[in-house]
Amino acid sequence: METKTKYVFTLPALVLIGIIVMFPIVYNLFMSMNTWYVASGKGLEWVGIKNYLNLLSDKRFLNSLIVTFLFSLGALVFEVVLGTSLALFLNREFRGKNLVKLIFLFPIAATPVAVSLIWGMMYNYDLGIINIMLQNIGLKPLLWLASPKLVIPALIITDTWQWTPLILLIVLANLESLPTDPFESAKVDGANIMQVIFHITIPMIRPAIVVAAMIRSIDAIKTFDMIYVMTQGGPDIASENLNLYIFQTGFSYFRMGTASALAIVLFAIVLAFNVFLSIIRKSGERL
Amino acid sequence: MIKKLILIAVTVLLIGFPLWANGSSDSDTTAPAATVQGFDWQSQKGTTIKIMANKHPWVEIIEPKIAEFENLTGIKVNLAVYPEDQFRTKRTVEMVSGASDVDVFMLMPGNSLAQYHQAGYVAPLDDMMQSKNLLWPEYDLNDIFKSALDAGVKDGKHYTIPILLETSLLAYNKEIFEKYNVEVPKTMEDLEAAAKKIYEGSNGDIYGITLRGKKASATSQWVDFLHSFGGEWLENGKSGIASDDAIAATDYYGRLLRLYGPKSAPSNSWYESISIFMQGKAAMVYDASVFKPNYENPEKSAIAGKVGYARIPEGPAGAIPHVSNWALSIYSNSKNKEAAWLFIQWATSKKIALEGLLKGIPSARNSAWESDDFKNGDTTPEWTQASIASYKVASPIWNPPVIPVGECRDAAGSAIVASILGEDVKSASVEAAKAMDAVLSK
Repeated sequence: METKTKYVFTLPALVLIGIIVMFPIVYNLFMSMNTWYVASGKGLEWVGIKNYLNLLSDKRFLNSLIVTFLFSLGALVFEVVLGTSLALFLNREFRGKNLVKLIFLFPIAATPVAVSLIWGMMYNYDLGIINIMLQNIGLKPLLWLASPKLVIPALIITDTWQWTPLILLIVLANLESLPTDPFESAKVDGANIMQVIFHITIPMIRPAIVVAAMIRSIDAIKTFDMIYVMTQGGPDIASENLNLYIFQTGFSYFRMGTASALAIVLFAIVLAFNVFLSIIRKSGERL
Repeated sequence: MIKKLILIAVTVLLIGFPLWANGSSDSDTTAPAATVQGFDWQSQKGTTIKIMANKHPWVEIIEPKIAEFENLTGIKVNLAVYPEDQFRTKRTVEMVSGASDVDVFMLMPGNSLAQYHQAGYVAPLDDMMQSKNLLWPEYDLNDIFKSALDAGVKDGKHYTIPILLETSLLAYNKEIFEKYNVEVPKTMEDLEAAAKKIYEGSNGDIYGITLRGKKASATSQWVDFLHSFGGEWLENGKSGIASDDAIAATDYYGRLLRLYGPKSAPSNSWYESISIFMQGKAAMVYDASVFKPNYENPEKSAIAGKVGYARIPEGPAGAIPHVSNWALSIYSNSKNKEAAWLFIQWATSKKIALEGLLKGIPSARNSAWESDDFKNGDTTPEWTQASIASYKVASPIWNPPVIPVGECRDAAGSAIVASILGEDVKSASVEAAKAMDAVLSK
């Protein structure tokens, strides 16, 4: 009796997850095994793993993997290092602390599209404020979004501006909840501030940093809105990440089979990354 | 569904009852007119049609007038306007779903008709164009430029009615030309020399020319250089963009921008490009003729009233611009095709064509260009002359005449960007042609 009731109570949740999570994934997997060129007006045609094999020789796909990797890694490193440093810096009592926290919330609260439009204008070669500032301090203006070499750094700067506060807030909340005894005994033993930070604080907040990094990295890998608004993947394909390439293939070229295969690849990357990070987190707990 | 039916039934009763109760006095006066003339604007009264439009200056002229159409016909119009990129995607997604309630949509036949025709999304218009009951006697199909009407023909049937006919023109800043003592370029050599003279004369403060450089968007004007240099999109069914002539054109286009154009060229689409021109930061721009109202609008443009217009300069194979047009089509699954056809006739009528032209939208109707209203009030006769001269020699091809247009444009766009960035144009073009052939054989 008891064993049956537990199924009854979990059933609605399972059904719901089945419909809204599992079905799209399975259907996507099915589509990725078909050719469906919507523009032709014809239906689906089963091709097995051909779409995946084609990706291996697709330069744009390989390019999009590199762009996704460079952008995500760059954004993640800057955001984690800056976010954690700021959290350590702000982890003290001072007047207006809550106000400072509130101000740091602003970039997160802003709509990514609006943020991207404004940053796009700021990066403009002829009229953007960034180049005007560079010239005012005697430097040469940079091409930013119009340069294949600078476009990814420029995107990383924008992403860092918007999402560092997220890391900051998660880490800061964790810092504030830490027990005080280890710090007091460290003080008694005569540890200096650097020793305290690297040997006590950081190991203690490591799980929080890993969680924050996990959330950010998944988002960074999946970034779409910001890049679409600022560069649409350009110049040429210099900033076309996997998600943008999926959109382009699916909704500009209308090759749904290929786009589905790409989406499955993206899904696999995010999944693998998640597993990897949770292993790190668990190994940290054991230590 | 049932609710809807009841609602319709109630509406019919409410509208019908007073007529029936009042006897025949109302219907006596309207009915004969309808049967004698055949055509009646009110024949589709009570229907609602949905129109999908791209955010285009033409729509800005139509939008405030829709109430006039609704009063004239008793048809209710729902107009949905989307920015261009989203518009193209949304339109196809609507069609693919097979359950769209769209009746009329905007379409560029040169861009999408091959695809839409093959997929069966567009309804043939010929029956309605010949029907005495549905063709407005004053509509005058012969008044529409043949090239524009023919752009909508597939397998002998008409699928689109043009709302405008545009070409691309060289616009130049007269003040800058005077200051640096530059003549209006007649040949491609002249154009490059003029750009160079101004760029170098101003120590790089003023760009010689600005053009689109953002990948696929650049191909719309690059194609005129391609044709004028003797190249073609397709040669014997295969990509022609790596022929010697095509490479020369791509090299020239990229060189102009790299040496004398804005540094931001690879990220500039038409909006950024014409903005630079309108701020007086570039001496010339080669882009669509429809942007004249932007150049001449003193609120948006610092150079209003100082712009001259000319045809594309002559290349080794001649001076060959293209014409392209936006048009209206009826969705093949529309349930209100007759009402949709009335809307199309109204929206492409002589009156609206003239109003559009007076506001700078190049009409697809000869009567508008010939009208005294237009001729007398024409503030930019140079633009008018250059436009008409372009129409006479223009090529109707501006996109590759294939179904996967977007992919081919992106492929060519890669070669253009490579050329702007100063990379090896030949290998980039060969690479792009390979990519295009791969797409065509898919």
